[in-house]
Amino acid sequence: MASAAHTRPLGEIEIRVKALESLLVEKGLVDPAAVDALIDTYEHKVGPHNGARVVARAWVDAPYKQRLLNDGTAAIAELGYSGLQGEDLVVVENTPEVHNVLVCTLCSCYPWPTLGLPPVWYKSAPYRSRVVVDPRSVLQEFGLQLPASAEVRVWDSTSEVRYLVLPERPAGTAHLTEEQLAALVTRDAMIGVAKVAA
Amino acid sequence: MAITAEQALGAVAAGASARVDADVAPLFKVGDRVRARNINPRSHTRMPRYLHGCEGVVERDFGVFAFPDSHAHEQGDQPQHVYSVRFSAKDVWGREGGERDFLLVDMWDQYLDIVS
Repeated sequence: MASAAHTRPLGEIEIRVKALESLLVEKGLVDPAAVDALIDTYEHKVGPHNGARVVARAWVDAPYKQRLLNDGTAAIAELGYSGLQGEDLVVVENTPEVHNVLVCTLCSCYPWPTLGLPPVWYKSAPYRSRVVVDPRSVLQEFGLQLPASAEVRVWDSTSEVRYLVLPERPAGTAHLTEEQLAALVTRDAMIGVAKVAA
Repeated sequence: MAITAEQALGAVAAGASARVDADVAPLFKVGDRVRARNINPRSHTRMPRYLHGCEGVVERDFGVFAFPDSHAHEQGDQPQHVYSVRFSAKDVWGREGGERDFLLVDMWDQYLDIVS
C-alpha cells in the first residue's frame, strides 16, 4: 500500500474492501499470500507488454504472423504466454481496408495472458453498449478517425474465445529492431481503439 | 479451506478451457446463413439480446465447447460447436447501422437456426 494511503482518510469503498478482506482472512477463506501473488502477477508480470511482443514478432517474422493468424493460442504460447483467460486465443489483423475492435457486451472478457486485466472503460456500460451500435463515433472519441471506405468489424466475445487485434505496422519503422517495435505497441491498439504511431 | 499462493499461481498458469474433447457433429458449416434465436431464459445465457432474430453468416467453426446456459447451472456440459457468426450492422440496427460495419459474435449451436 502506498504511503499516501496513511496520510488521508480512507474512502468508503476502501474501508469496505478492507473489512471484507479481513473477514475473509479471519475466517480462513482467503490466504493473504495468495492475494498478494495474484496482484503481483497482474501488476508486474502479465500485461500489454506481453501482447506487444507478440505483435512485434508478427511484424518482423512473416511465418510467425501466419501461424499467429492460423492458431493464435499456439503461436502466442511459443512466446511463453498462456493460461487463464487465454485458453483459446484468436488474432484478428488490421489492414488499411479492415479495422477490428474488441468488446464484451455481456461483461468484460479480455485476453489476460497478452493484455493483463482490462481497463475500467472497457468494462463500462457506455463502451460496451455503444461500440456495437456506433463503432465509428466511439473510435473517434478515442482519437481514431477511420476512412469511410474502411470496413469495421466489432468482435463481441460472448464465448470463451479471447481476441487480440494485430495492429498495422506504422510507416517509417523499417529500421527498428523487434524490441524497439514492441515498445511502440499500445494496449489500446491491441483492443482496436487506436492505431500504433511510429 | 483457502487456496495457497502456489495454487493461485498454478491456476493462472494452467487456465481452465471450456473446450470439450467430444466428437460432436456441427449443426452448421462455414458459409451457412443462420438466424439468432429469440430465446429469453431467466437463467444464465450468452445470447446477446440485441441479436434476437437477426440473420448472419457462419464465418468460422471454433470447435466443441461446453454450453454455458446449462454448465453455469450445473446441468451438464451439453458440448456443442461454437461459431463466429458475422452480422451486418444494417441487419442488426436498421438504417442507423453503418453500411460497412459488421458484428462478429460467438454463437453456440443452440443459439441458431438455419435460414433456408
